[in-house]
Amino acid sequence: MNRNKHLPLTETTYYVLLSLLEPAHGYVIMQKVEELSNQQVRIAAGTLYGAIENLLKHDLIQSVKGEDKRRKTYVITEKGLEVLKLDFERMQHLIRVTERLLNK
Amino acid sequence: MRKFKYFIDYDKEEKWLKEMANKGYQLESVSFGYKFRQAEPKDTVIKIDYRIFKKQEDFIEYCTLFEDSGWQHIIGTKSSGAQYFKKMDHNSDDDIFSDKKSRAGKYKRLSNMFMQMAICYLPIFVALQTTGAIDIEAIVDPKSLYYTQGLWEMHGLSFWRAFLFETPFAFFRGLVWLVIPISLISFLFFSYKANRLYEKTLN
Repeated sequence: MNRNKHLPLTETTYYVLLSLLEPAHGYVIMQKVEELSNQQVRIAAGTLYGAIENLLKHDLIQSVKGEDKRRKTYVITEKGLEVLKLDFERMQHLIRVTERLLNK
Repeated sequence: MRKFKYFIDYDKEEKWLKEMANKGYQLESVSFGYKFRQAEPKDTVIKIDYRIFKKQEDFIEYCTLFEDSGWQHIIGTKSSGAQYFKKMDHNSDDDIFSDKKSRAGKYKRLSNMFMQMAICYLPIFVALQTTGAIDIEAIVDPKSLYYTQGLWEMHGLSFWRAFLFETPFAFFRGLVWLVIPISLISFLFFSYKANRLYEKTLN
């Protein structure tokens, strides 16, 4: 099977993409990720900056026009959304197959 | 107060800066050595990242993101590379990185920068070599670098006076090119060291 080269996403990347379904800037991403993960995942500033840079490079997110000059706003791209869905399916499969084997 | 030190290992540098702050020396600038200001001994956490920015706006965005999350940018410019951050309060995260990969990434960027410097110096070295600007014989026979007529036949005070007078000129004449290969080798060495730190941090 020819798997998408971005898969599997890391937990950090997955949460960043998830929090960019709506436009947000860096610090909002940090807060959203914390909230979405039930305070389990905290992304530090240096790590998030690198993650954003990397996602931009692969066109999984893009920067959009915002009012704040000091804080750039980002949003997920079509390609990013597709990768997110593929990883979601990958994990769904993991869950299904695990459930079946554990409940045997 | 100024202190002269050179770190390639940022973790060691961060530890040293913490100790200095505990002794009452607050870091003020890092350019020509480390400049400290005397202050109350205080528990201070300083963390270092290594990044060079193409655009000013990217640099501002970077600093703002850190400041939003409780890390004050204290030293560094768009193209300085090393960026120093100070923890602002107890609520901030304990580190500016939250995973190994990004924590190691700063060493990778540092290593690449030294490698680029080495690559820049290489053609200069080759040019000096091929144009004959490098006089290897001068190392074996340094006497050839002295141009004063009859210098080696002089005696006593007059010899020393003439000899010492010309020595700096002779030095520049014959050995100044050494700066290039020495820098080249140092850059390669630092690049290697930084890459080792990258691998160490990653594992």
